[in-house]
Amino acid sequence: MSLRLRLLLMIGVSLSLLWGGVALWMLRDLNHEMRRTLDQRLKMSANMVAGLMLQNPAAWDGSMGKAGASTLTMPPAEQGLTCRVSSLRGEVFARTPGTASAAIVTAAPGFADPEINGERWRSFTVETAGLRITTADRVAERNMLQRDVLVATAVPFIVALMGSLMVLWLGVKSGLLPLERLRQALASRAPDALTPISEAAMSRDLLPLVHGLNQLLQRMSVTINRERRFTSDAAHELRTPLTAIKIHLQVARITHGQEAEVALDYAEEGVARLQHTLAQLLTLSQVEGPFSWDDGHITLADEVARLAIRDAAPNAPGRIILDSDGSLAELALPQALAVTALRNLLDNALRHSPSENSIRLELQVLKDVILFRVCDRGPGLSAEELRLVTQRFWRRGSGRGSGLGLSIVAAIAERFGGSLELVQRPAGGLEAKLTLPSAKQACSN
Amino acid sequence: MRVLLIEDDELIAHGVLAGLRAHGLTVDCVATAAQAEVTLSAVHCDVVILDLGLPDEDGMSLLQRLRAGGMTLPVLILTARDAVEDRIAGLRAGADDYLLKPFDLNELAARLHALLRRAAGRSVDVIEHGPLRLNPASGEAFLEGQAVVLSRRELALLAALLHARGGILSADQLKDSLYDFNEEIESNALNVHIHHLRRKLGADIIETVRGVGYRFSGVNA
Repeated sequence: MSLRLRLLLMIGVSLSLLWGGVALWMLRDLNHEMRRTLDQRLKMSANMVAGLMLQNPAAWDGSMGKAGASTLTMPPAEQGLTCRVSSLRGEVFARTPGTASAAIVTAAPGFADPEINGERWRSFTVETAGLRITTADRVAERNMLQRDVLVATAVPFIVALMGSLMVLWLGVKSGLLPLERLRQALASRAPDALTPISEAAMSRDLLPLVHGLNQLLQRMSVTINRERRFTSDAAHELRTPLTAIKIHLQVARITHGQEAEVALDYAEEGVARLQHTLAQLLTLSQVEGPFSWDDGHITLADEVARLAIRDAAPNAPGRIILDSDGSLAELALPQALAVTALRNLLDNALRHSPSENSIRLELQVLKDVILFRVCDRGPGLSAEELRLVTQRFWRRGSGRGSGLGLSIVAAIAERFGGSLELVQRPAGGLEAKLTLPSAKQACSN
Repeated sequence: MRVLLIEDDELIAHGVLAGLRAHGLTVDCVATAAQAEVTLSAVHCDVVILDLGLPDEDGMSLLQRLRAGGMTLPVLILTARDAVEDRIAGLRAGADDYLLKPFDLNELAARLHALLRRAAGRSVDVIEHGPLRLNPASGEAFLEGQAVVLSRRELALLAALLHARGGILSADQLKDSLYDFNEEIESNALNVHIHHLRRKLGADIIETVRGVGYRFSGVNA
């Protein structure tokens, strides 16, 4: 159900019920009051006639003396009150014309509801000084009078109620116009549109909502752009080795002997590069994704360093000099990831150092973290390059790596609350400082 | 035909080099924009293959600079960026063709030949001159309808002379068309190839202009 319809129904129904109830209550009161007023009129009329009769007793005494003399007839009244004056014995002295006045016979004084000639009447009888005075009027007439009054009261009321419902409808409609405008603005957007919604014509109440929406859209747009760039970069990275493989296979097909052998060797190198890039991409997506790495093993910092050295330089482990204090410090992250991060740092250092130079890996146990320092004597990086170096697919010049190594290290550090810092060494070369949380810290958390 | 390949990825450069050589083209390869500029100013090339991701400069800006400097050689861009905007930007910067990685070696060679013949003002691969018919792309030559077997060098030499349209080419220019930097050239290698061509197609086909160079003088029917 739309907001507008709900609002309209809620206000409209409660308004109608409330005012309808008030109206019914008022009309019932009015009805009651009318009946009382009409009864009062009967009673007052009877008393008035009685008073008149008592002022001149001779008149009716005389007429009584002339027994059988004609009854005094009052002026005719087709509508309105009927009156009859009689003795207590029933002799009629005076009455209004018409059959009704003749027929009204009441035994007891006070109000009564006789039925005469099929018509219902309301009568009042008063007895005074030997006279019985009865006034009466038709119930039908009374009802008609009452109905007229009720209609006269109810019609303006109903008109007013209808009017207010109409005003309510218009008010709700115009009041919800900004909301409707926002709805239309949202509905008319392309499904993938990420441009902000215009805040120009928005009502002040909706501004925070629109503002929030725009912020969300902006964040989404940044994320989507980043992912898009990543996908495009990844495609680019995969295309390059793929191109090399394809070309070399074609060359191998159209050449012979030594040349074809060389081409196949190159194609194989391309495959290895493709495989490496894919593996790195997979690792990165797993580190950044919701993948669970916990293998339940205790991760010893020393063992991590040893395994990383073995992976990074399987043929020349002597190129990496490990300097560890030898303690049994435990890392608060899965061993596979710690090894991956450290190996990537060592890979980088080896790749950018002259092959005769050695790399130094230092391991320091600090208060809450374990610090791995990888120092090389390569050319190092400029300040601008240091800023770019952890970006995905960034690599210096036409370096051979996938451009993802340091991105992976940074992602692992970030995921487990560690840090990666690269600094230019004053003596030349690069120093990479990787801090990873130690298990003690994890337990206290 | 001599091709300058500007490509920083060693693996791809090796492949293109070997592949185009197998297709009978003379290829030089450089890895940076700076080397490319030096090479272009020093050597006569017929066509340039440009990779956009160079280590020292963006390929697109190199191309713009070269075009602004009056370089008129046909340029084929080689890139992994396949967005339409990238392609449009490349063509606007002065490229003549655009090839997306991964590409087919045969397609690359065919496109290079197409670029070259456009530059020479022809719309088909075949060059006809009297009774002589040469297709540089397929390496086929016919003299009066009879197929003539030419070696790779002879083919390149004949194509270079035909492209010059009767103009005189110096020995150095001809050597540029036949050999890349890495090849050792025997001092009389050019003379040997010219000798072979004259033997196969007729003694008058190449005229020696003393002290200047050589000229294609036509085939006597």
